[in-house]
Amino acid sequence: MEDGARLMERVRARDVDAFERLYDTYHRLVFGIALRIAADAALAEDVTQSIFLKLWTSPEAFREGNFAGWLSRVTRNRTLDVVRSRANRSTTEIPADVPADASTDATVFANIDAQRVRGALSALSEEQRTPIEMGFFAGITHEEIAQRTGVPLGTIKTRIRTGLRRLREALSEAISR
Amino acid sequence: MSEPLDRGGLIDLVAAYALGVVPASECGQVAAFILADADARREYDELRATANLLGLSAEEPVDSNRAARMKERLMATVRADVVPRAPLSATRTSAMWGTTLAAAAAVVFALVSVIQNFGLRSDLHDAQARVATLQTRLDIDRRTVALDRRMLTDLTASDSKRYTVAYGTVVKRGANVYLVLGSLPPPPHGKVYQAWTLARGATTVAPSVTFSPSQSGITLVPIPQDAGNLAAIAVSVEPEGGSRQPTTKPAFVQPLS
Repeated sequence: MEDGARLMERVRARDVDAFERLYDTYHRLVFGIALRIAADAALAEDVTQSIFLKLWTSPEAFREGNFAGWLSRVTRNRTLDVVRSRANRSTTEIPADVPADASTDATVFANIDAQRVRGALSALSEEQRTPIEMGFFAGITHEEIAQRTGVPLGTIKTRIRTGLRRLREALSEAISR
Repeated sequence: MSEPLDRGGLIDLVAAYALGVVPASECGQVAAFILADADARREYDELRATANLLGLSAEEPVDSNRAARMKERLMATVRADVVPRAPLSATRTSAMWGTTLAAAAAVVFALVSVIQNFGLRSDLHDAQARVATLQTRLDIDRRTVALDRRMLTDLTASDSKRYTVAYGTVVKRGANVYLVLGSLPPPPHGKVYQAWTLARGATTVAPSVTFSPSQSGITLVPIPQDAGNLAAIAVSVEPEGGSRQPTTKPAFVQPLS
């Protein structure tokens, strides 16, 4: 199967077939993330439409690395923006501006799939998985996670750090098998 | 503005920053630290990529109708955006420009439509709330009109019974009874008028509605109790909010036959 990064190269060249394959391959991911965050199928559909249109009109936004990971982050941020604007809530989190060096991950995680990610997440302890999932899908700060879970902020920071490191190890192990 | 953090505190925040859960007030410090510290940079690169993959856990099948509908709309927009690959000629340049502009306009229109759709959904929600409010108001108005129509019929019907009392008339028709009072003096400050009903066979009166004189000069008071079961009706001046038993001498007491 042609990966997302290769398909995006063809989309940059205005290849409609590549875009169609991109949609067929990734619409479940985009819709799934938007639905998980917004809990609203109609809104998730709108987000999915807007994300794919953006891929077509601004394909240069994706530079390198794992396309599915990049698309996940873009979808997450876009959905949170929409949910917050609907709720008239101010943004409490600024997406990271520091561009990550994705060259290693482009190789290591190139063929990662949903099943492997779910497996790696389930391998984490509940204490580590909960703040990580709350942070990614609820778009709240670590302080809010601490308040909602009743766990001290310092402990939440540690659990996020050890949880993400453990997740990375578990994904690497899953790929090498 | 948050307090400056030491290196240990900042290292602790790198993972949270990679996940995207650092409060806006601390993002600047953490970002600067990542750019300046090699260890922090390495950790950030690794954990950011890992955090991005979390979204994959949410991937799930999409209802086939929904998926087809989304795809159809998207592909129609994208195909409209694609410029035909025929070689350009001088005579066709302007036509191509027209096609290109039309295609670009289609994409812009589609984008604007999607963006507007978000706003429209919010507007729709507000509109639905307004419709619900208006519907409630309409229901109240309908009930008021029905009551007014019923009162008009009762007050003008030839078979109504009329009892002359102080300041006006008590009108009874079937199960309905009304006070029609003209030139009713304003009650003292902090006081209202209150109607009382005496049920057939009862020895004490029961409290009914409170009211104040209408500025129009005619005060019309429908009594909610079933007139068919009433032996008498009375009105007295009572404290605002009404009383459980009359506290002043009634302005009138009218037996109902």
